[in-house]
Amino acid sequence: MQELILLVVGTALVNNVVLARFLGLCSFMGVTTKIDTAVGLGMATTFVMTVSSMIAWGVETFLLVPHDLAYLRTVTFILVIAAVVQFTESVVRKVSPSLFRTLGIYLPLITTNCAVLGIPLLNVHDKFNFIQSMLNGFGAALGFSMILAIFAGLRERLALAAVPRLFMGPPIGFITASLLALAFMGFSGIHTN
Amino acid sequence: MSPAGASLFDSGGRPLVEGFARVVAADTATAWLEPEQTSSCGGCASAAACGVKSGQGNRRLEARRFALANDCQLRVGERVVIGISEYALIRASATAYAIPLLCMMGAAVAAQLLTGRDGWAMAAAVAGLTAGLLIARLRAGRLQARGDLTPRYLRHARSGEECNDRGED
Repeated sequence: MQELILLVVGTALVNNVVLARFLGLCSFMGVTTKIDTAVGLGMATTFVMTVSSMIAWGVETFLLVPHDLAYLRTVTFILVIAAVVQFTESVVRKVSPSLFRTLGIYLPLITTNCAVLGIPLLNVHDKFNFIQSMLNGFGAALGFSMILAIFAGLRERLALAAVPRLFMGPPIGFITASLLALAFMGFSGIHTN
Repeated sequence: MSPAGASLFDSGGRPLVEGFARVVAADTATAWLEPEQTSSCGGCASAAACGVKSGQGNRRLEARRFALANDCQLRVGERVVIGISEYALIRASATAYAIPLLCMMGAAVAAQLLTGRDGWAMAAAVAGLTAGLLIARLRAGRLQARGDLTPRYLRHARSGEECNDRGED
């Protein structure tokens, strides 16, 4: 149990998908202008990333490896993720059409980015079992959502700050992100010789 | 429905999240609107090339069509700004995504710890997801009954105004 908790915490904080692995930067910069949409999108991405990691593990274990089709891994995982996104959208619509319409107005329901593909590939690389793959996907998504929310809060403050004209918009956003990445490096500890 | 220039706070004093929609049909009592869909990357200058936006077909938008009481005499083709309480949006997201996910993960981890086998963990995950979706359905029904999921008309959108204009630094 302790190993599973450490896996989630390590993936969320130490190997943060945005600040340590530099994945999902398009969503990171695109939807972090408002904290509410960032939190909502974070939840949607968490669902998609976790379910994708689980299904990709099943596809890898029961289809690609037994049939020696590992060279099709990336293409297959892209298909899996596309199917999971469509499945999620369909299920939300079936579960509650009003919920689906409300979320559709304010949140992008197509929640896929390179981080969603990167995590299942990392799961294969690290030879995780089913539960480890699921928790690694969840931890990565948790870290992604946390960074979205933190960064959205920072950008809401930046919107009120007197930023030099040349640095307005994405430039000051990336500078802030780099400082945030430096802060998160602290979670990996300081190595001394 | 609120009149044009309505408050940016709900009845509980919480701020509203804004979204854009276009009027596609209207009569004296009801206006039908389609939301302007945003992409998960927020859109960008290369959106035409990356294909994220091209996935949003007419059928998808039709499925998201919703009705508002037409107190402000909205006309077909007008772009309007609609709002919902940010608290309601977060509750809606939690209902749609967090509840099923937590049920699924809880069941899978419990099965893994009890049996130590991946097959049982997978079966438990499916069962947990199904249970989570049922709970989400019940909770969504309660939110809908309370009117938390109904957007409010705020104002007409300014020419060229886009979602990324809001709060942009």
